[in-house]
Amino acid sequence: MSTNPMHQFNVYRIGPEISLGKIDISFTNASLFMMISALAIIGVFFIGTKRKSIIPTKIQLLTELSYALVSKMINDTAGSKAKPYFPFIFSLFMFVLFCNMLGMLPYTFTVTSHIIVTFALAAAIFIGVTIIGFVNHGMGYLKLFIPSGVPIFLLPLIVIIEVISYLSRPVSLSVRLFANMMAGHTMLKVFGGFVISLGLIGGWLPLSFTVALTGLEILIAFLQAYVFAILTCIYLNDALNLNH
Amino acid sequence: MKKFSEFKTRLKIAKKKANKNSFTNNKKNTSSLGKALKLSTEMVAAVMVGSIMGFILDSWFDSKPWLTIIFFFVGAASGILNVIRSAKQMQEN
Repeated sequence: MSTNPMHQFNVYRIGPEISLGKIDISFTNASLFMMISALAIIGVFFIGTKRKSIIPTKIQLLTELSYALVSKMINDTAGSKAKPYFPFIFSLFMFVLFCNMLGMLPYTFTVTSHIIVTFALAAAIFIGVTIIGFVNHGMGYLKLFIPSGVPIFLLPLIVIIEVISYLSRPVSLSVRLFANMMAGHTMLKVFGGFVISLGLIGGWLPLSFTVALTGLEILIAFLQAYVFAILTCIYLNDALNLNH
Repeated sequence: MKKFSEFKTRLKIAKKKANKNSFTNNKKNTSSLGKALKLSTEMVAAVMVGSIMGFILDSWFDSKPWLTIIFFFVGAASGILNVIRSAKQMQEN
């Protein structure tokens, strides 16, 4: 095994090289783990909803709780108008959650520790929310950039600031998820390396750190998926109910 | 009959207790950690976007460092605005 803490983030090709024009679309370990998490979600929900007993089994409880969590989150942050977007936000939340959680298993690859994956998700959300805003409000959506009660000579500066703040949404959304996952996994690997290099005598202290950090990482894995979904709801709320 | 009504009140009290202790407390903790993580990136992202915008505009108008410098500060301002806004939102909830 390699002792380089960044080695776990390597993306390599599995199977033959496939290219579409100049773009390399070969099957990699990242795509493998994305598929595994998507299939795991489908599997869990298939088993969980197969037998709808009144006293739920553990998997049924899991599916029902996750449904209730996301549905309550959408109702609280974006209101009843956002109900049609429930399937999207729910699948987004489950996908990020499963990617994060699968990454916590040994020998797996964490898809969300790559900025290109998280940025693709965030950019899709950003473009979608902007389209929803323009469809719902027409050109009135541009009022989002003009806060009320601003003196006219300050307006150009304020509009630039507001536009930058709007454009920074996908960046902050993606950087948050990526940085948390990557930092956590690197830290786990570094402490794991200390265990090996300090040996039987001094290795117990970093080992206990690793155990504690694993617990923290599982909390963060859930929390980041939750934050990702809740921020999507907040942006959706801006697009649906324009209140400035 | 007496026993039944007694049981009913006891159940009510137990339900209230369960609601108070386990659920709300736990939820508050996780969401506040999430909020803390949210605030930290909000600032950095705005500065990044501002600087990148300035850099792109600079190469358009051929005015090398100036627009980058100006947009860096504008980005910092919008980062502060973002942080204040999300802090306000947290206080309302």
